[in-house]
Amino acid sequence: MMLRLTETRRAYLMNGPAMIVLFALVAYPIGYSFWVSLHRQNLKRPKATKFIGLDNYFALWNDPAFLSSLRTTGLFVLVVVTMTVLLATALALVLNESFPGRGVLRSLALLPWAMPGVVNGLMWRTIFDAKTGALNGLLTSLGLIDAYQAWLSSPAGAFFLTAFAQVWNTLPFAVILLLAGLSTIPPDLYDAAKVDRAGVFQRFRQITLPWLLHPLLIVLILETMNSFRAFDTIYVLTGGGPGDATSVIAVLNVKTALTYTDFGLGSAYAWVITLLTLVVSVGYVAALYRKGSFEL
Amino acid sequence: MTAVPLRYRVPWKRIVVYVVAAAFALYLVLPFYWIFAMSFMREVDAVSVPPEWIPSHPTLDNYLSFFRPDSAQVLVGGRAIKETPYALGNSLIVASATALLNLVLAVPAAYSFSRLKFRGGKGLLMLYLVTRMVPTIAILIPFYLMMRSLGLLDNYGSLILSYLTFSLPVTIWVLKDFFRAVPRELEDAARVDRCGWFRSMWSVFLPVAAPGLVAAAVFAFMTAWNEFMFALFMTSTEAAKTMPVVAANFATDMNTQFTLMAAAGVVAVLPPLVLVLIFQRLIVRGMAAGSVKG
Repeated sequence: MMLRLTETRRAYLMNGPAMIVLFALVAYPIGYSFWVSLHRQNLKRPKATKFIGLDNYFALWNDPAFLSSLRTTGLFVLVVVTMTVLLATALALVLNESFPGRGVLRSLALLPWAMPGVVNGLMWRTIFDAKTGALNGLLTSLGLIDAYQAWLSSPAGAFFLTAFAQVWNTLPFAVILLLAGLSTIPPDLYDAAKVDRAGVFQRFRQITLPWLLHPLLIVLILETMNSFRAFDTIYVLTGGGPGDATSVIAVLNVKTALTYTDFGLGSAYAWVITLLTLVVSVGYVAALYRKGSFEL
Repeated sequence: MTAVPLRYRVPWKRIVVYVVAAAFALYLVLPFYWIFAMSFMREVDAVSVPPEWIPSHPTLDNYLSFFRPDSAQVLVGGRAIKETPYALGNSLIVASATALLNLVLAVPAAYSFSRLKFRGGKGLLMLYLVTRMVPTIAILIPFYLMMRSLGLLDNYGSLILSYLTFSLPVTIWVLKDFFRAVPRELEDAARVDRCGWFRSMWSVFLPVAAPGLVAAAVFAFMTAWNEFMFALFMTSTEAAKTMPVVAANFATDMNTQFTLMAAAGVVAVLPPLVLVLIFQRLIVRGMAAGSVKG
């Protein structure tokens, strides 16, 4: 009993600094953010700050910019997560085979992960450029298009190319998680299946896929959360445009706070987003935990 | 035996693997190659139609001009070109400080989870995870207001503090898993040899756990290096602007030369890229362990 007590005390002593820092830097600001969201507060008119209760939240329901950004974000998450999962599974399966050059491909697969979102946006901007871009150059020289296109000036084009750029950036993370999952499959399962003369596809369906389900679920969770808060690439690539075609929640939120300096409304946006993300992620984690596949 | 039909299946599968691997290699490398090649071109060659795939007149001018811009370049590159060297220094300092502070705060916390049984431990670990799930934008505005009232805007302090919010939870989780893999017997042996707790930690435990420390530090460094939203908000001059902020200025400034922008991009990606290539194995292990474990 004595020992237990001192151990607990020691543990909290060791966690103390981290707890204090995270409380001061995360918990307190979130509370403060809620307080700000109850005010009419704009940096441009500091004198006009006023407590208005939940009015900012009520305003959200009729705010076309907010509602359209919710839709855009939802679609963006769907497209990015689907593309990431498909591509990452394919790449992880290839990397799990042994062939000369696998090590090189493995290193290459980490390249996009090292790239800051801003540089990613900048890179794709030069590639999609209407006058000089590599995409135009490539497609023209392959004879696929006759004239250079302004890819980013149509709403649909901008949306899908932005999603494409985002996928390139987030792919490595998914690949590594899936590869880690693949490496836990006992090789004798495949040997046994080969003895039973199961074909490639049968082996994939009956061995690989069931073992991969769990890492896939984790990839799904993390990529959903990541693409939900996607910002850097979009900001540099399209700035939310054309119109509001790529104006996802994070972009709208930063614009509201930074450009219009509307801190009250911006905080209300942020709170709604926080609640949404927390509900989704806590739900995910709880589901994993109940399945017994989540380890503390 | 089964060996004969198997030998016939192999080539078909090999071909698919090679083709898909080659396609992925191109997909992964070509986009980056494009700005890399562009950064060594003269502006005339970079904007030529059809595009040049290999620099025909390779030059280092774009990189050199960050350190001594000529007047014409300052005119087209705006402020960004002059700010690049400062931004590089700022990013290095802020990211290193973030990594170091992460280790200092997370090592004891992670150690407690790997070695001590204590009431509320699981809850606390969960709480750290929830902290990580809070979206950046949620704390952006209050953070800005707090830093303004502390007089920390446009200062390393505000950046380092904000980067702790999302790197510290990850560092604790990653270290916890690495620490658990260190055999307990090592510390027991040290204790038998009458080492004090601190000494056994410092000279026995931490050296063995060093790969984990390196992985966690590299993670924290990279998250801090790549971060953009906080930096955009809280920095305004070359005193604290980081590389991503300056690189974004290049991209959003209509007058910028493509080649200068490409060079800035390469400069901004180089440090994280070098770290990834050096510490590949560790990073992969840490990423797999630091995610929710399966």
